[in-house]
Amino acid sequence: MRCPIETRENAELLLAYCSRKLDAASTAILEDHIRICPACREFANGQRAVWEALDAWEATPVSADFDRRLYQRIEKEVSWWDLLMRPFRPLLFRQGLPIAAAAGLLIVAGVLLERPAAVPSASSPVSAQVDVVAPEQAEHALQEMEMMREFNRLVHPDAADSKM
Amino acid sequence: MPERVRTDVGGAAAALDYDAELMLRVKEGDGASFGVLLDKHRSSVVHFLYRMVQNHPVAEELAQEVFLRVYRSRSTYEPTAKFTTWLFRIATHLALNSLRDGRNERLQEHLDDDTSDMPVRQISDSRPSVEQFMVYQAKLDEVRRAVATLPEKQRAAVLMHKYDEMEYSQIASVLSCSESAVKSLLFRAYQTLRARLAHMA
Repeated sequence: MRCPIETRENAELLLAYCSRKLDAASTAILEDHIRICPACREFANGQRAVWEALDAWEATPVSADFDRRLYQRIEKEVSWWDLLMRPFRPLLFRQGLPIAAAAGLLIVAGVLLERPAAVPSASSPVSAQVDVVAPEQAEHALQEMEMMREFNRLVHPDAADSKM
Repeated sequence: MPERVRTDVGGAAAALDYDAELMLRVKEGDGASFGVLLDKHRSSVVHFLYRMVQNHPVAEELAQEVFLRVYRSRSTYEPTAKFTTWLFRIATHLALNSLRDGRNERLQEHLDDDTSDMPVRQISDSRPSVEQFMVYQAKLDEVRRAVATLPEKQRAAVLMHKYDEMEYSQIASVLSCSESAVKSLLFRAYQTLRARLAHMA
């Protein structure tokens, strides 16, 4: 067999052998090779030492309250969701109203929320106008209206009399 | 427990691993299935994270986050990969972020003065002597330091390969890289470890 150490691809064979993941037939071939190849022997011995050293590293047991802490966190998330959904729950579940009704409710809520935003845009020019009118301008406007009324009386004396 | 169970989720589910089927049940609102998944994978996730960050409280905190994310994702879960691949992808992502965020800046100090994380050995008759215990501690310390010196991705690859016995293809999926990249990562990682630990034979 060609020495596995010569190419990285074949070195995987050695890694697999040292990890005890190689099938029996390949293991037998590789062991024959390792017996006569010092480089592969050194590689395999070193890798075996690493494997055994890593085996010695036992992990700490998981805390006894791990699940309790996790479920508490999950519970907290569920409670938050519950709080959000609480106003809709009676409608959705207890009274058995169709989802469409809930959707309708949401639409109404949306419209109600939307309305205050529309009102200022319609009324703002008026209030702005009122704010900017000076007393002199108002007086001038009234005088002009009076003048128009006088002019009207002169042009249509009958109409003015009939209205009186 | 049977390795495969019948499910009404659909034909595609028949080919899934048992864990993915359990997760689909969680998606359908079965909380008990989440408990089964937690029981099955709690230790492997905590131990993987512990060996990644080498700090037990941080590892448990990260593991809690892993399972919390699994639970949160239940409604959007699609069994496109093996469940453990998905689980370890979340765990690796969190571990790498934690290492980069410096949440383990005290790691080195921790390694210098760390007896609280040692597994409690409860062997009554063959209890090791003080000398044996000290030798074991020294050996363990050397192993942990050697692993800690590995670049993060190499470390993750070695831990999944060694302790979780994952195939190259699965490690590749977890690390979002090619199989040949994983082989390269492992080759370089073991090369470093051989240089540091071969004398322990």
